[in-house]
Amino acid sequence: MPGLTRALVLPACRTLPWRLVGAAGVAGLLLAALTRTTGETGERLSLPLLRAAVLAFAMGLVFLLDDPARHTTATVPAPRPLRVALRVALVLPAVAAWWTSALLLVPPDVRPPVADLTLEAGAAFVLAVTGAAAAVRFTDVTRPGPLVAAGLLTSAVLAVLFWPKRWALFVPVEDDRWAAAHDRWAVVLAGAVLVGGVCAVEPVRRRWGRGGV
Amino acid sequence: MTAVLRTPAAPPTVRDEPGGSWAAVAALALFETRRLLTRVPVLLAFAVYLGWTVWRSGKAWGGYPALQDADRATQTAPMLVGLAVLLCVNHAALRSRRHGTEQHFGVLALPPWRRTAAHALSVVAAALLTGVCVAAQFGWEALRPGAIGRGSMGELLVGPLTVLLFGLAGLLVAGLVRSALAAPLLVVFCLFLSVFGTGSGEGWERWLVPVVVESTSNTLPSDLLGRPAGWHALYLAGLALSLGLLAVLMAGGRKPVVVAGVAGAVAMTLLGGVAQARGDSPELVRARERATLDPEQVQSCARRDGSTYCAFPEWQPRVDDWAGVVDRVRSLAGGRAQVQDVVVRQRVDARYGLTGDAALTPLERPHEVTVGTQWGGNRVPEFSAAVAGVLVAGNEKASTSICDGRIVTVMWLALGWESDPMAALRRVRLNDTVTGSDSVLQPTDGLYMTAAQTEVLRALFERPRGEVTARVKDRWAELTSPKVTAARAAQLLGVPAPEGDDKCLD
Repeated sequence: MPGLTRALVLPACRTLPWRLVGAAGVAGLLLAALTRTTGETGERLSLPLLRAAVLAFAMGLVFLLDDPARHTTATVPAPRPLRVALRVALVLPAVAAWWTSALLLVPPDVRPPVADLTLEAGAAFVLAVTGAAAAVRFTDVTRPGPLVAAGLLTSAVLAVLFWPKRWALFVPVEDDRWAAAHDRWAVVLAGAVLVGGVCAVEPVRRRWGRGGV
Repeated sequence: MTAVLRTPAAPPTVRDEPGGSWAAVAALALFETRRLLTRVPVLLAFAVYLGWTVWRSGKAWGGYPALQDADRATQTAPMLVGLAVLLCVNHAALRSRRHGTEQHFGVLALPPWRRTAAHALSVVAAALLTGVCVAAQFGWEALRPGAIGRGSMGELLVGPLTVLLFGLAGLLVAGLVRSALAAPLLVVFCLFLSVFGTGSGEGWERWLVPVVVESTSNTLPSDLLGRPAGWHALYLAGLALSLGLLAVLMAGGRKPVVVAGVAGAVAMTLLGGVAQARGDSPELVRARERATLDPEQVQSCARRDGSTYCAFPEWQPRVDDWAGVVDRVRSLAGGRAQVQDVVVRQRVDARYGLTGDAALTPLERPHEVTVGTQWGGNRVPEFSAAVAGVLVAGNEKASTSICDGRIVTVMWLALGWESDPMAALRRVRLNDTVTGSDSVLQPTDGLYMTAAQTEVLRALFERPRGEVTARVKDRWAELTSPKVTAARAAQLLGVPAPEGDDKCLD
C-alpha cells in the first residue's frame, strides 16, 4: 500500500483542480486585502471580510473531488478513501499557506483572534470537502463541484439569516457568546470530519434507480 | 432514383422564414424558464422570501402602514432571489459546455446569441414573478383599513429590477468566464456588498448599489422623502439592460439593433445615474423646513366633538382613530377636563430627511397635543399618555415636567381605558417594565414614573374600572393639584399606601 500511495502522488497532484483553487484563493485574498483599504472602519469590517474570504476559498475547495474518470476507477486496487485522503493531503499545504497569507494581509491591530478564526475557517473548508464527498457518495455525477458550490452558498446564506440565536455561530468579536460560539464551531468541525470520513467510502453497490449499470 | 437525386435539395428554411428563429427562441426561453424556476436554490430563495415576507407583514407598522414606507420594505428581500437566480442562470448558461454538447449545438439553426437571448428571457420571467410577489406584498398593505399615504412606482420596481440585474450579471459572467467558479465567487462578493454596503453611506455613491436603505424609521409625508426613486429605477433598468445586451453581443449577436440597444441602455444608465445623484433640491429643503417649523401652513384641520385635529393631508383618514383615543381619555377624566376641547397637532421633524430623526420639543400652547406620523402598536398608548398629560397639566410643556403624584392620574387616564392596561403600561415604558421606576414614552419628551407611582397605578389596575373611575372623578381637584404625593393619591383613591421610592429624577 505505501508503494501504491507513493506511485499515486504525482498523478493525483496533476489531476487536482489547481486553477480553480488558485482562482478562488486569489479572490479570497483580494477580499482579505480590502481590510487594508477600509481605513477606520477596518476594525468593524475585518471579521466579515475574513469570513467572506473563507467562503470564497471554500468555493474553490468544493471542486476538489471533481473527477471525470471516477466511473473507471471504481474497481482499481487503490480504494476511494485513499484517493480522497491523497487529494486532501496534497491540497492541505496550499490551504495552510493561503490561510496564513490571508491572516497576514489583515493589519495586526484589527486582526480578530487568530486561533478561533482558524477554527471557523477549518470548519468551513472541511464542510466544503465533506459536501463534495457526500455528492460523490450519493450521486453518480462526475463533477459535483458546481452543485456543491451552490448548495454550500445557499446553506451559508440560510445559516446567516436563520441560524437560531441560542446556538449562535456568527458572532462579532466583542460579543459575550464568542467563546461559546467557538465551542460550537469545534462541534461543527468534528461533525464535518466524521461525516466526510463516512462519505469517502466507496459504496458496495450503486443505489438502484440511478443510471443503470 | 436519379430523378430523386437530381431534385435540388430545399435550402434550410428556418433562417428565411420570418419569425421562425424567434419562435425557437421563445420555445427555448420557455424551457429555460421552467428549469430556472424549479432549480433548488431558486425554489429555496423564493420559499424563504415568501415566508419571511408573510411572517413580517403581520408585525410591521402595527396594522397602520404608511405606504411611502411600505414600498421601500419590498426591496431588500428580493436580493436573496436575485443571488439564487444569478447562480442558476450562470449554471444553466454553462450547461452545454459542462456536458460537452457545445459542438452538437453548432449544427443547429439557433446561433449561440439567440440561446443567450433565451436565457435572458428566462431571467425576465423570474423578475416578473418577483414583481408579482412585490405587488402582492404592497397590495396587502395598501388594502389594510389603516393604510395611509402613497407608494411610489419607482420604489416598487427596485425588487424585480434587482433580480433582473443579478440574473443578467450571472449571464454576462457566463459569457466572460467560462468557469463554474465565477458565479459562486460573484455571489460571495455580492453577499458581502449586500450585507455591509447597502447604500448606508452618505452622498451620491450610495445610490450606485441596487437597494438603498435608510437609517431611520421616521415616517415623512411622501412629498418630503426626497428619494430619487424613479431615476434610480431607470438607472437599475438601464444597468440590467446593458448587462443583458452585452451578454448577447458577446455571444456573437453583432446586429446593428443589439449594438444600438447597448448604446441606448448605457445612455439610460448614465441618465439615471446622474439624475439620481443630484441631492435635495432647494424647494425640497424649504418644504421640509416649512413642514417642520410651520406645519399649520400645509396642514388641514378637522373637528370632532369640539376638538380640532390638524394633520398633513395624507393623514386625514387617521383623524377618527385619534379622536377615539381622545374621547376615551376624556371619558375617564373629571372636572372641567372631561369636556375640555384639545387641539391635536401632527408634527414631524423632516429637516434631515430620512438620514436622522430629531426629537420633537413639547408644545407650549394650551391644550395642544402632538401626534406623530406613525400609529398602531406602541404609538397608541404614547399618544394617549400625551393627551392625558395635557388634560391634567394644561399644556404639553408643563405635562412633560410633572414630577409629583399627578403622574398617577395621568397614567390612569392614559391606560385605564385599554382592555389590558398592564400590557399597555409595559409597552409605553421605555424599558418594558411594569414595576419600579421607568420613563414613559410620548410623542415629544417623556414622563418619569417613580417606583411609588408605579405601585399605586398597578393597584388601580387591579380594582374594578368603574369604581376607580368614579373615585377619580370624585377627587379630581385634589388629584390634579400640583405637589400631591403618590401616598396622598393612594389615600384619595382608596388603595394601600406605596412603599417604593417617590423621589423624582431631575
